[in-house]
Amino acid sequence: MLSSIVKPFAALALAAALISIVLAALGASPIGVFAALAGGAFGSWYACVDTLVKSTPLIFTGLAVSLAFSGALWNIGADGQLMIGAIAAGAIGPHLGDFPHLIAIVIILAAGALGGAAWGGFAGWLRARRDVNEVISTIMLNFVAIQALSWVVHGPLMEPSGAYPTSAPIASAAQLEFYFAPSRLNLGMLLAIVLAGVCYLLMFNTSAGFELRAMGRNRRAATFFGVRIPALTVWVMALSGALSGLGGAVQVSAISHRLYEKLSPGWGFEAIAVALVARLNPLAVVPAALLFGALDNGSQAMQRTQGISPELVQVIQGLVILIILAFDTPAWSRLREQIFGDDEQPAVPAVAALPAA
Amino acid sequence: MLRANAITKRFGRTLALDGVDFEARPGEIHALLGENGAGKTTLMNVLAGSLAPDGGEATLDDAPLLAGSPRAALDAGIAAVHQSPMLFERMTWEENLALGGFDQAAERLDLAAVATRARALAAKLGFELPPAGTTVENRSVAERVRLEVLRALSFNPRVLILDEPTSVLAPSELNAFLDLLRNLRAEGRIVVLITHKLAEAIAVADRITVLRRGRVVARTTPAETSEEQLAELMIGEIVIQPDAGAARRHPGETVLQIENLVLDDYPRRRILDGISLRIGAGEIVGIAGVDGNGQTELVEVLAGVRQASGGTTTSDGAMAVIPQDRDLDGLILDMRLWENMILARPLREQATSYGWLNATRAIDLCRELIERFRIQAPGPETLAGALSGGNRQRLEVARAVASQPRVIVAHNICRGLDLAATAEVHRTMLDFAAAGGAVLLISSDLDELLAICGRLLVISRGKTRETNPGERDPGRLGLLMAGARD
Repeated sequence: MLSSIVKPFAALALAAALISIVLAALGASPIGVFAALAGGAFGSWYACVDTLVKSTPLIFTGLAVSLAFSGALWNIGADGQLMIGAIAAGAIGPHLGDFPHLIAIVIILAAGALGGAAWGGFAGWLRARRDVNEVISTIMLNFVAIQALSWVVHGPLMEPSGAYPTSAPIASAAQLEFYFAPSRLNLGMLLAIVLAGVCYLLMFNTSAGFELRAMGRNRRAATFFGVRIPALTVWVMALSGALSGLGGAVQVSAISHRLYEKLSPGWGFEAIAVALVARLNPLAVVPAALLFGALDNGSQAMQRTQGISPELVQVIQGLVILIILAFDTPAWSRLREQIFGDDEQPAVPAVAALPAA
Repeated sequence: MLRANAITKRFGRTLALDGVDFEARPGEIHALLGENGAGKTTLMNVLAGSLAPDGGEATLDDAPLLAGSPRAALDAGIAAVHQSPMLFERMTWEENLALGGFDQAAERLDLAAVATRARALAAKLGFELPPAGTTVENRSVAERVRLEVLRALSFNPRVLILDEPTSVLAPSELNAFLDLLRNLRAEGRIVVLITHKLAEAIAVADRITVLRRGRVVARTTPAETSEEQLAELMIGEIVIQPDAGAARRHPGETVLQIENLVLDDYPRRRILDGISLRIGAGEIVGIAGVDGNGQTELVEVLAGVRQASGGTTTSDGAMAVIPQDRDLDGLILDMRLWENMILARPLREQATSYGWLNATRAIDLCRELIERFRIQAPGPETLAGALSGGNRQRLEVARAVASQPRVIVAHNICRGLDLAATAEVHRTMLDFAAAGGAVLLISSDLDELLAICGRLLVISRGKTRETNPGERDPGRLGLLMAGARD
């Protein structure tokens, strides 16, 4: 357990070392750059809060991906599901002015979850009934979602003056408030953390979650023991989509208050990295998302003070993921065994290392 | 001369090989005997380069073998046939064999040439290969093993190591296979045969080495020993064969009834051709057959994995299925023992209330079963993949019995198990029947069927035929299994 917490940080340090070499080669000061990065992410109360805000959609989508991946359902469509959820929220949001705040919030978030669930559930249905590989269907549905968002902000949901490609703002009753103005911290973050706990309980403390994990580890054995694979596939994909859609609705309700193109900078894809770094553990998704959120947030300060492009942050993120995954090998497990003793079970034992007879 | 000097290999806390010395000479068949978990497979993996030993070294003609490199072992002339077939499921058999030594063209993959060479070699060995372009995934276990043997031989190896190859062969195939080993010996090759079938070792081997718990306990020859002595050496105690009387008592009311079961596969291939069967309480009914005659599909239909094309199955009470491939169908190797236990729905329901899984309860349940069925494992939190084959099977049997079904459908439950484990599994089945359960035992092992089944059917090309008591001898059954009509 300890090493699974230490490991991402070790990977981060190794990534930092590699980046330092690149920075030094470019003639920049690695220490200055990293100080700016850290300062931008955690240097002030405001920076910390903004890091949390930037992490929120990553927690939602990261949970969505973790859940689906645990069942070996490769949902690459969290981004599209998030956008459809946002569209549903953005469509219903302007009409909630007459409702009490709490009810309006529930409606707008439910709309987002339902939108995402429909999008994810459809991919699940295609897999379960028509045997369409969910990797393909979710990628294709991402394209559809991107164009759907573009269409609604230029067409049916375009703001009344018709001057800008955005939707009309949602009613103030449907807006999640900022509790630490001027920062944008809102209840969405809390909801995301609560849902991380719920997802954990679902996966590890319920019969349905067990069936999900069994399906993910060995689909055939699960079939032999009466797990209803098609139904489970549709439900899990719908639930995964609902989590992403909820992330989109929170973004609309709390931050953007309206729809616009490029609403998502690719959270649904970054979510895959978040989920893998968290090794699909919903509780670990929260710190993993914070890590990526901090990198996103810090990159802006880095750009301002050091003149380094924010793209470099993406390079750092890429290296972190690669290094974490590269360390998650049998060789690493054996090393860990020698250092920490063999009490910890490797995630997947190498077949050759089993005492077969 | 193939030689292993003081090989030691440790897995975690388990010492799998403890200073093992082993040698095999050109022109001999050397049988390596031992129980499950004795270290036979580990020794093979060391010799074939799949595992690097912690101590000691292997040499071929006094040249040391590069530890941990299967490529180096192959180049030195050592080919291995693994117990669980290492084939690529979604690829055709030609493509699988192309990975061997049949593909001689340097620039271009010539599958037709591979197929021609493979068919020629197969014909020499006395078996046929499937039609061109057939993928491996739907082939029977016996066919897979044959493909593996072919692939190993395609390298024209000086040393051929076979891990339990005969456990999946039908009686009719066995003699041909043993003859094949004798031919290889006559060609001056070294053949190492890993087995726990004592009769076979005595019939075919020139020398026998017995392993027990990672140590060599005896080096002998067939002339100097007997099956009884070997059994004692392997196990360390005499095994009491289960008393089959229980299963032959008068059966009670019908528990499982299968009526005219038909299964058609796409495109238009009849796999199960009108199977009818009735099993009463307290009965153990066997279905004998050569692998690939519809047994796997029958189990899948009974388990609900496949939809039958026609016919009905009625069962008076719950059914538990023990599929034949424990590693693929029966267990989830990278999950813990208790999680594997609750794969069975009745056990899962016992550990669930209102949808919530009570892990503590499941773990307690698992601990109970570990003790009751003497599964050798550190505890319920162990990964199923860390167990030896015999213990994996005990786990499956424990799970089936503990889910308190009326019917157990078991397919090749003792494949790859040693004498002690086999006797124990049989004992469990007999006890289950004696307590009023019904067992359908589908197996390609005639000895097993004759030992514990009250009634015996033979399956051939998807059709079953009931045998009468006068036909209960291996020769007659072998003919029926090969498709003889009467």
